[in-house]
Amino acid sequence: MTESEDIAPSLEGVLKDEILRMYQEVADNPRNEFHFFHGREAAELFDYAPEWLDRAPSGAVESFAGVGNPHRRSNLQPGETVLDLGSGAGLDAIIASWQVGPTGAVIGLDLNPTMCLKARAHATAADAHMECRTGAMENIPVPDAAVDVVLSNGVINLSFRKRRVIEELFRVLKPGGRLSITDIVSAKQLSQSIVNDPKLWAS
Amino acid sequence: MFRLLEETGFTRLRSAVEPRFRFRKVSTQVSAEAFGVKAVMMTAVKPA
Repeated sequence: MTESEDIAPSLEGVLKDEILRMYQEVADNPRNEFHFFHGREAAELFDYAPEWLDRAPSGAVESFAGVGNPHRRSNLQPGETVLDLGSGAGLDAIIASWQVGPTGAVIGLDLNPTMCLKARAHATAADAHMECRTGAMENIPVPDAAVDVVLSNGVINLSFRKRRVIEELFRVLKPGGRLSITDIVSAKQLSQSIVNDPKLWAS
Repeated sequence: MFRLLEETGFTRLRSAVEPRFRFRKVSTQVSAEAFGVKAVMMTAVKPA
């Protein structure tokens, strides 16, 4: 597991910029090819229900860049409050909103304010309700014990301070609250050349 | 990450490999396999 002590602060800034740039590019140019599958192709790969993908705005589906399907085990219930960590263009948050219904709430969190604007617009178009807050997963702008469920899809692996992120998730969850996350893990310590390569890190 | 979840205080941890995850670029997938990179689904609960 790579933590901040392995990354010089200046490099952390460079890598974070590359992450922002990479995912902005996915949103702006969904027809480009990337290291990873994205869009409807990726969502279908992970068994997202076709009716969800047909109902959600095309912009949200095209920009999907998850690594799995956190909805499989989220067991969302009407009335629950959900945090979608790294909400991007909003597909997972929109699906969550449909499941928790009008008595529930969905909070998206993204580092990129432009993505938050896109996500909110997609949610409105999808008759879903979500708010999106701009901020870092290492300092989640949500009060203690505020959410019932945290969803995250391929995001925590991008952090250089994963312990801090997990601690934040613990803080914002209500007692008895739950996580349903999908993410990238590695069995071996990544080489420093990979850690230092912004494009590989962001992928 | 599983260890971090446990150390932070989460309980009822469950995980499963996402069998269909792979990188689009073959060279990236080959490198990923060399490091045992995979996608994992995880659920956990904050104690009540």
